[in-house]
Amino acid sequence: MAEYLIQTVGLPGWLTWSLLAVLSAVLILNLMAGGALVFIWAERKVSARIQDRLGPTRTGGSFGWLQSLADGIKLLAKEDLMPEGADGMLFRVAPYVSFCASFAAFIGLPFAFDMVGLRLNVGVFYVVAVLGLEVFGVILAGYASASKWSLFGAMREAAQVVSYEVPLGMCIVVPVMLAGTMDLVTIAEKQAGWFTNWYLFHDPFTFVVFWVYVTCAVASVNRAPFDLAEAESELVAGFHTEYSGLRWSFFFMAEYSSMFLVSGLAAVLFLGGWNGPVPIATLLGLSDGTGESTGAIVRLLGLANLLGKATLGVLIMMWIRWTLPRLRIDQVMTTCLKYCTPIAAVMFAGAMTWLWVFPGGVLNLDDGSRRPGEIREGWLEGPGGRSTAVSDAPVDDAPALAEIAEVSK
Amino acid sequence: MSQVIDDDPRIIEFDVRTDEMLVNMGPQHPSTHGVLRLVLRTDGEIVSEIEPHIGYLHRCAEKIGENISARQFIPYTDRMDYLAGMNMNLGWSLAVEKLMRLQVTEKARHLRVLISEMGRIASHLVGMGAYGLDLGTFSPFLYAFREREKILDLFEEACGARLTYSYITVGGLTADLPPGWLERCEAFLEQFEPIIREYHALLTTNAIFVKRTAGIGVLSPDMAINYGCSGPVLRGSGVDQDMRRDGEPIYTAMYDGYAFEVAVMKDGHYPRDHAYPAVPADAVLGDCWHRFFVRMLEVVQSMDLVRQAIDQYSACKGPLGEPVKVAEKIPAGDVYLETECPKGQMGFYLIGNGSAIPWRVRARSSSFSNLSVLAELCHGCLIADVPAIVGSLDIVMGEIDR
Amino acid sequence: MSSSVAQLLPVLAAAEGGLNWHGFFFLLFALLACCLAVAVVLADNVVRMAFYLVLSLGATAGLFFLAGAEFVGAMQLMIYVGGTLVLLIFGVMLTAQEPFVSIKTPVRDKVLAGLVGGALLAVLIQAALSGPAWSGSAAEGGGGVALAAGQPSATPLGMALVGIRVDGDVASGEKSPEDGQVRSGYLLPFEIVSVHLLVVLVGAAYLARSKRRKSSGGQGADLSTGGMR
Repeated sequence: MAEYLIQTVGLPGWLTWSLLAVLSAVLILNLMAGGALVFIWAERKVSARIQDRLGPTRTGGSFGWLQSLADGIKLLAKEDLMPEGADGMLFRVAPYVSFCASFAAFIGLPFAFDMVGLRLNVGVFYVVAVLGLEVFGVILAGYASASKWSLFGAMREAAQVVSYEVPLGMCIVVPVMLAGTMDLVTIAEKQAGWFTNWYLFHDPFTFVVFWVYVTCAVASVNRAPFDLAEAESELVAGFHTEYSGLRWSFFFMAEYSSMFLVSGLAAVLFLGGWNGPVPIATLLGLSDGTGESTGAIVRLLGLANLLGKATLGVLIMMWIRWTLPRLRIDQVMTTCLKYCTPIAAVMFAGAMTWLWVFPGGVLNLDDGSRRPGEIREGWLEGPGGRSTAVSDAPVDDAPALAEIAEVSK
Repeated sequence: MSQVIDDDPRIIEFDVRTDEMLVNMGPQHPSTHGVLRLVLRTDGEIVSEIEPHIGYLHRCAEKIGENISARQFIPYTDRMDYLAGMNMNLGWSLAVEKLMRLQVTEKARHLRVLISEMGRIASHLVGMGAYGLDLGTFSPFLYAFREREKILDLFEEACGARLTYSYITVGGLTADLPPGWLERCEAFLEQFEPIIREYHALLTTNAIFVKRTAGIGVLSPDMAINYGCSGPVLRGSGVDQDMRRDGEPIYTAMYDGYAFEVAVMKDGHYPRDHAYPAVPADAVLGDCWHRFFVRMLEVVQSMDLVRQAIDQYSACKGPLGEPVKVAEKIPAGDVYLETECPKGQMGFYLIGNGSAIPWRVRARSSSFSNLSVLAELCHGCLIADVPAIVGSLDIVMGEIDR
Repeated sequence: MSSSVAQLLPVLAAAEGGLNWHGFFFLLFALLACCLAVAVVLADNVVRMAFYLVLSLGATAGLFFLAGAEFVGAMQLMIYVGGTLVLLIFGVMLTAQEPFVSIKTPVRDKVLAGLVGGALLAVLIQAALSGPAWSGSAAEGGGGVALAAGQPSATPLGMALVGIRVDGDVASGEKSPEDGQVRSGYLLPFEIVSVHLLVVLVGAAYLARSKRRKSSGGQGADLSTGGMR
């Protein structure tokens, strides 16, 4: 697109890049804001249907689909309160920290082939690192509110999120290891074809890892049954007890976009990314399955695929939220340290061994060109071809592979 | 300064320095069941001390009772335990009737059993749903309220009110049932029965629910008796007492001809427990799980009693009988009567002096005694356990503060 | 002075006839990092300090991203910013005697710190300006940030840290002249540093411990008033 603008339209380079950057930012921002609107509405409807209610029915017509917008207007009009003893600067800035972290993480998430804000050769790592910053806003909010309930919420969130990052990272390393790259686009590309190529079905270990990932992802975005930071029956409203109006809604936007983000990440890492369960595009001859030669229709199809999968993930989180009671803080930590982390570690070792024994996987029939223990191309290669020309160095050392993956995490 | 501390013989531990914090839970806290205020002394998440502060809903009901006639006091009893108004009406009515040596007709007796057991189901449904809410699950609350609405519909048909009924009154009931009511009631029971299984699936046997309740807030039978606990809280600790069976004759006579088994664990088994979920391995007799489970069993028990009452009531011929006049004089003397309300033993004490207006009115609230044990139960628990324990006591502030 | 500034900033001088975004963002992030670093020093509240520190480190991560070193940038975010987060929590939990503790620095210390910091800064500036890239950049008139492919990157160093010499040593079987062993990277030093960090952590935890009274009952605010006077 950039080349097109520069060469055909004749725009100067700097203007082109600025335009494209603004375009991506606006798209992502709208995805977050619009997504939050849709998901808050969906949450209301889903919870209502689960609970034998109707949910919003009047605002904006038959399904109450404008309810979130009406809520938003109400929130805009609300008085912006700040407790007397609060640390004003931190109190004001905290919601934006959360929001910006969520927003920045979206930059690295691919929505379809080449539909990514910024293609990074360490995409997974970047997304996880930035997403971890969201908790920072929560902690600031809890501390700056000058409320004991908020402080409890913040401390719970800190303990929880910092702990869950460990198993979450381990789960994420597994697909990275299978793909041999941390580039999210490449990871998704490698799962092209039938759904049997998805890393979810790569081997039994990845299947288990996926569910550990789901648990940790729900915990790391603070959704029930791990929503301890805002446990309304214990901590009134947790870290956002003292927030109102627009600032409060920023926390919510951050929460919903984080949910969407971890679901999208799950889709890319385990569920084939933008590749549907059935390679319709390839079967119809629209694409040869490599991604490079795909047309606009195929990319839109891929976009629908990824958004669909991520939305499904969000809906499942809602389903869980409206079904299960909340865990206690010690039980949340036990779940992380005694179950998720060891299971993830064992499954990681298992997946590694599996890769060693069946280099091509079992279900996804690879071309078999890989040799066991080979450091594959893509390990050290960036998307822009910034290769360090070292990718062919074979090392007969399995632990080294593990260590690379571990450190890469 | 450090020298002083080092020499202090009371200091034995070396640990990460922590500060304790006083936290006010309530009176505007989502999970304190109204306007209860709990002051917690916490060290991090651990609660070392807890003190309930009450009185935010005090409306001088007892004093008002000393200025109006006994029958006029009925609406005030509605507002004590506003979740089980029928049972409160019954308690006061029976106490006054005991003083007046009044005997209601056979038909009124069965109708009272029918109505008060329905009231018990409604109250336990709220208790169950709100308990789910305390543990962070919203849906069971609405499932419970959905069924409670149907009971309230039935009550509305019978007496015109949905919350404050004043239906059972001194000398009988204010009106007979409308035609077709019994059929609708039976239809309700029919459709309600399978729903209890859903409640068990969502709460009683849910792994997270069991984790949150089993072994938490264990109330030993001795402590329960010493603190004067009653109702499901007492029976949840394994003490076999139920006023409907063990109470005074004027109350137990109401249940003559009814078959029911008190919901209490005996020899490690609940009555009829074969049909309902097994007790989880982690549960200790007297913990939150058992208190909850006793309520769930009592719902089934009450359904059974309602069915029996429907049969008995429809077999009764003759009139329902008229309640006493509003300004009916009550004889001199004092009387105290406890009845088994959904929350526990509700006692009414009144002294008559020959006029229509009682000279003295007192109410003994079960929730008050049940709440008093809170400080013992919450010692050393986590903050998240406080709502779990308070919820398992199933208190109603209107009854505590009166 | 002004000429040296112009020398340092060939940035907004149009490279392709338009705005040089790389230069602009480099300046922006660098300025942010520096200002926020100063803010860390000047803030008197431990949480605000941590907040500024996080932002400053985040801006540094931005510089890494700008230079095309995504891995180092993400690493910076994950380790430093995440680490600061933990620091913040420990800072609040272990050092604060009361909420909103403020730290006042005496003027004497400020002067001393200014001297030390200034000296260090002078050395750094001297070292930086004597580098070939800096001295040559103004003459070439190119952008301030090198992005050309084939540029030496930190990747071989990073791989060597985890025990893999990707610079061809292993593949070619080249032996070290000293002991005749295949060079196996810097795994050992890496591990030693890790253990060292662990020791530091244990030490910090030890220092944070304090004495506690045998019984905590009967002291502190009164429950019957709920802490309200």
